[in-house]
Amino acid sequence: MTTRANITLIVLSTVFMATRSVGMAHAQEARLETRLADPARTQVNRMLDSARAADLPTEPLVDRALEGAAKGAPPELIVAAVGRLWDELRTARDALGTRASVGELTAGASALRAGASDTDLRELRARRGTQPLTVAAAVLADLVAAGVPSDTAIVAVLSLARAVDDAQYVAFRRNVERDIALGASPSAALGVRLDAARAELASADHAADRLGDRATRPDRKRKP
Amino acid sequence: MNEHDELIARVAETLKEPVRIDPRLDARVMAEIEAGRTAVPPTRRVLDWLTQARTIRLSPLGGLAIAAGVIVLLWTGTQLRAPSPAAEPSLAAAATLTTTVQFVLIAPDAQSVSVVGDFNDWDVSATMLREDQAPGVWAVTVPLSPGRYRYSFLVDGTTWLTDPLAAQAVADEFGRPNSVVTIGES
Repeated sequence: MTTRANITLIVLSTVFMATRSVGMAHAQEARLETRLADPARTQVNRMLDSARAADLPTEPLVDRALEGAAKGAPPELIVAAVGRLWDELRTARDALGTRASVGELTAGASALRAGASDTDLRELRARRGTQPLTVAAAVLADLVAAGVPSDTAIVAVLSLARAVDDAQYVAFRRNVERDIALGASPSAALGVRLDAARAELASADHAADRLGDRATRPDRKRKP
Repeated sequence: MNEHDELIARVAETLKEPVRIDPRLDARVMAEIEAGRTAVPPTRRVLDWLTQARTIRLSPLGGLAIAAGVIVLLWTGTQLRAPSPAAEPSLAAAATLTTTVQFVLIAPDAQSVSVVGDFNDWDVSATMLREDQAPGVWAVTVPLSPGRYRYSFLVDGTTWLTDPLAAQAVADEFGRPNSVVTIGES
């Protein structure tokens, strides 16, 4: 192979690799190519770039843009919705920490939209300890969507945060929604179900205490 | 002619005599050479080839092309590592944590029903429900990894409906309300 042929091969390889790299760098935004027209697509792409720079997940933002496109929303509405979600994700990330999962951030953003504050999210994070926050924050948003006033929903979710697991949170939300569907006012339904949950937890704690007490108490009958 | 001259003449006569060489000498010599070559192990020959100094001739254009290639390679590596830790979970992680969710809609008059949401890029034809269980009962199961997903049903490609069996989303940003499903991580 001659020197000229070698150089040609090197130049062609460089061009190929550069093209491939550019394609990979924008692979994630490719879904918007056929779904969202310019200039809205360019604006959304800029927000995605800034999300990457801010270490925020981009997938929820892409999903929001795709949702607007699927529903035939006006481009300016799509851009505004993506921008609003961007802000909520950043607030959620600041409140929940850089180790929060995408699910936790998305649920946190929903809770913020439902009326929770960043302080509420920090309090929820603190009370849940090492448990994931996705379901707890989602239940808060779901209760507000069901008609429960946001401040009441926040108090309820926070009050249960230390004592219940994800399944109990979901059961609590379903019970409230069922009561509302049967005609109860959202606030009344929440109050009744919250009292019931607390009573159940107290009963379980009492039973556990009694079991623990019995387990540790010496069996006097067997003593000589 | 003296004594030395006679000696030289005898030596010259001796040297002029034809030398008789064994006709199998060539074959023996080549056999020895081959035997010596095969005695060197291949790894040693590769090592010798790698360690042998060479002179490389390169034009300025070729050097620039190689430098550009190295830069592109490094940049590509940076881009591949670029996604944030909070970005999409790895496929392996998602595969181990997925939960199968069944979506059901009662729509006796529908000709087609699809579920459209965050889990399928809001593609209206990606996840079609089937009317297998009973007339008018449309259903499909979808594997979902932990997270919170917004979705809607699309009936006959025109009518958006929320899921009557699921919680509703707080925000209705595009004039068509959504349902939500949350998959816990614990």
